[in-house]
Amino acid sequence: MRSSKRRAVGRTVVVAIIVIVLIVAAGAAYFAASNLPNSRTPTAGATPVKTSLVLEEEDQPDTLDPAVTYVTPGWEVVDQVYQGLVTYNGSSTTSFVGVLAKAWTVSSDRMNYTFLLRQGVTFSNGDSFNAYVMWYSVYRTIAMAQAPYWILNQNLAAGNGVTLNVTAAMLNSINYSSPSPSNLTLMLNPHQSVQVLNSSAIRFNLGYGTNGMAPYSDFLATLETPMAMAVDPAFVSSHGGVTDGLPNGAMTTTAMGTGFYELQSWIPGQSVSLVKNVNYWGAKLSKSELNGAISPAILNNIIIYFKPAAASIADLRSGTAQMIFVPVTYYNVTNRLPGVTTRVLSPAYGSAEAVTYVYMDPLAFEPFNNTIVREAIAYGINYRVITANVFAGHAVQWVGPVPPGFQYYNESTTGLSPYQYNATKAAELLAQAGYVSHLPSGATLNAGGTPFPRVNFLYDSDSPTDTQAAQIIATNLGAIGITVSLSALPYKTYSSVIFSSSTNTTSYPMGIGFYSEDYTATSDYVYYFTSDNYIGTSNYADANVIAWTRTASTSFDSATSISSYRNITRAMYYNYTDIWLYVAEMMTVNQNGITGMTPNPAGSAAAYFLYFNTVNYTS
Amino acid sequence: MFVLLGVALIVFFISHVLSPNPAILWAGPKAHPETVKAVAQEYHLNDPILVQLYYFLLALLTFNFGPDPQTGRPIASEILFYAPNTLELVLASMLVIIVLGIGLGYISGMRFGTKVDSAIRVFYLTTWSTPYYLGAIVAVLVFASYIPLFPSSGNGTVGFSYTPITGIFVLDSALQANWPALQSGVDHLILPATTLALLSFGIVPRIMRSSILDTRWSTHVKAARARGLGEGEVRRRHVLRNALIDTTTVIATTFGWLFSGTIIVEQIFAWPGIGQFSYSAIISANYPVLVACVFVFTVGVIVANFLADVIYPLLDPRITLGEGG
Repeated sequence: MRSSKRRAVGRTVVVAIIVIVLIVAAGAAYFAASNLPNSRTPTAGATPVKTSLVLEEEDQPDTLDPAVTYVTPGWEVVDQVYQGLVTYNGSSTTSFVGVLAKAWTVSSDRMNYTFLLRQGVTFSNGDSFNAYVMWYSVYRTIAMAQAPYWILNQNLAAGNGVTLNVTAAMLNSINYSSPSPSNLTLMLNPHQSVQVLNSSAIRFNLGYGTNGMAPYSDFLATLETPMAMAVDPAFVSSHGGVTDGLPNGAMTTTAMGTGFYELQSWIPGQSVSLVKNVNYWGAKLSKSELNGAISPAILNNIIIYFKPAAASIADLRSGTAQMIFVPVTYYNVTNRLPGVTTRVLSPAYGSAEAVTYVYMDPLAFEPFNNTIVREAIAYGINYRVITANVFAGHAVQWVGPVPPGFQYYNESTTGLSPYQYNATKAAELLAQAGYVSHLPSGATLNAGGTPFPRVNFLYDSDSPTDTQAAQIIATNLGAIGITVSLSALPYKTYSSVIFSSSTNTTSYPMGIGFYSEDYTATSDYVYYFTSDNYIGTSNYADANVIAWTRTASTSFDSATSISSYRNITRAMYYNYTDIWLYVAEMMTVNQNGITGMTPNPAGSAAAYFLYFNTVNYTS
Repeated sequence: MFVLLGVALIVFFISHVLSPNPAILWAGPKAHPETVKAVAQEYHLNDPILVQLYYFLLALLTFNFGPDPQTGRPIASEILFYAPNTLELVLASMLVIIVLGIGLGYISGMRFGTKVDSAIRVFYLTTWSTPYYLGAIVAVLVFASYIPLFPSSGNGTVGFSYTPITGIFVLDSALQANWPALQSGVDHLILPATTLALLSFGIVPRIMRSSILDTRWSTHVKAARARGLGEGEVRRRHVLRNALIDTTTVIATTFGWLFSGTIIVEQIFAWPGIGQFSYSAIISANYPVLVACVFVFTVGVIVANFLADVIYPLLDPRITLGEGG
């Protein structure tokens, strides 16, 4: 006879089995009753709905306010919802087409840009766009003075320094559909940066900004940025208005533009969803009037999810995502996915993402005042190992400050090759400078010399590639007699150091520096390296180089620009001001059958194209 | 209260050690000098450290964390947006942990020494020792890619017309009788909640098993059997109930661990919760947000432990609230 204990255990097992069966049956019934297309976002394994696209990337927008956003994902969203006067022509970074502007002229002295605006342009809520709205939009950016406003402030300002200063209070008080006579007097004033000519024409007068009374060869590039995009004054007014020096919290998560997409939702930490603007003004244009930047959207819905690279790759594999943006270090992974196209882009795209170099601040570390020491370091780094081990070959070495693939790179670097690794020469130079050094064979040079002082080497701990590169550099330099102490800081702290003005007390006189484009212009990069006097630019300030920089940025003559950039490049090259390291390549990753992306280094969408309006499925 | 104060002090001093110039961090590397100055003034960053500490504690007490330097929105409102989403995830995970953890621990303890016991121990030790990042990615690959059963992104809100009431999507959908949204919410909740639960729950069956083993051969259980009570009643009233006392402590502790797990799991599943929010704040050195998140996490753990203390007397009448042990 079975004991009561055995009976109890047996009952327990039976009960457990019944419970498990019930749970499984309930689950099966639930899924059988599910109506997948109506209840789920694009799901794993489901056939992609051909009127929508799911893109996944890691970084999230900071804000959707075009006057404030300063990160790639923010510009990516803003570019679909808002529009400015001009944009790049296809894949070009030097020619432009009109978006809200139908045409424009430039004065002979290049100080005045006059735009004739398109008629019939409206915001997605039906509010009209006109020259008064454009005037408001630009001054709104300047009045708010948030981080990226300097892009416009180089050439434009709120006031003329004498008789006029546009304030937030003024901006909030004007009726932009039918301005009063006093409002018109203000907007029509010719002595200001942004001058309305009439309701359909607007003029930009350069000279009031930080560049002073000088033309700027890349002014149109600055107008392509979100900072100069049209914002609906009525919408802003109903969401808090403009405040001098402060962002508008409500505009962070809402958007109202003239673009081909509208913002359906932004769920911070999860996704941005864009839907086709059914009231889009461009839909009324004839085919001959359209260009790639203003054509109506083809796909009804774009959803951008924010997930780590590994998770995005899993979703791409399953078909949940049709396009992802991941670093090029995942090339060997994505290239093997079935049904997926992976393509490496030209160096210009990597340059737009970031150019990388080693800085050496002589103000904070005396040995860096010696050119021979800097030259020794240039020879002491094994660039090929960094490219091969860190990027699996998907990086290019470069000669700065003009970034590879940008205008005038080839002309400025003619006859120069990237710094080459030569440990023997590095050791000899270090010894020549008076320090103890070591040859690759182990022999010591200048044994009676001064041991090279230990130096802190800063890098971004949030960047896996910078971390690996820093370790390789430390090993290379240690081998010749330069001991570096690796000092990692998280990105925000790291960037606050390298973008600070140089002092003689900085704790990080050496490290990996980087620069990303703010707008696609050679002058933007060159100005940073030659004129900003940051710790991260080696506190470089050479009067001749600064003069050449200004000549290049104010010249519209190619020969003059080429000559200036060539002089700058050579001066910095032979001075070993910065050790030009690498530019990581960028790649496109999408499922087969996705087409319509027009690559442009200025692009923020998946980091390589500007607009989603032309993206569609081939079948 | 003292726990909260201690945590606040630690966070305050660490945040000030991390950066030489917080004003530049918050304003942005290319911020106008006037903006940097305004930020320094706003957050009293140039004041003496004790003055900064005063304003810091004042802000915590009034739940006024100020505006998010990155978005300009009140941090309190951002917390109120993210926290319910994490609560939804954590509560769902807790449900799985309680059912699975107690159930498996009970079975393992009652089937001590058998193959069932071994299998259960292998199972929970394996999931428990798996790193969150690895486990979450594997879950996505297996259940959203190779065997496409569940969605792998979001909490289901994209595309749904949704009026937040509590901020918990599943609950709000049910309250508004929005059945398609509810279905979507549950669909999206299953995989991340189960993943988070399985990667966190190992301590629960372990302690449950240990408690069962301690209790099932104890004197009072033998006495209960000797009095003629049925085996089911012995197990329910004398074994399980007593074993749950220690297990409840562990479940309350697990609640706190779940929050740390959400930082990774919410990333993988694009779940818009406070874990994600905290991670972004850490990456961007957004100290005001970081302080607020740490404060919220601390409050959550304290509440969980308090609830555990409340449940004890229900399990063991010998224990009353306010008494030690």
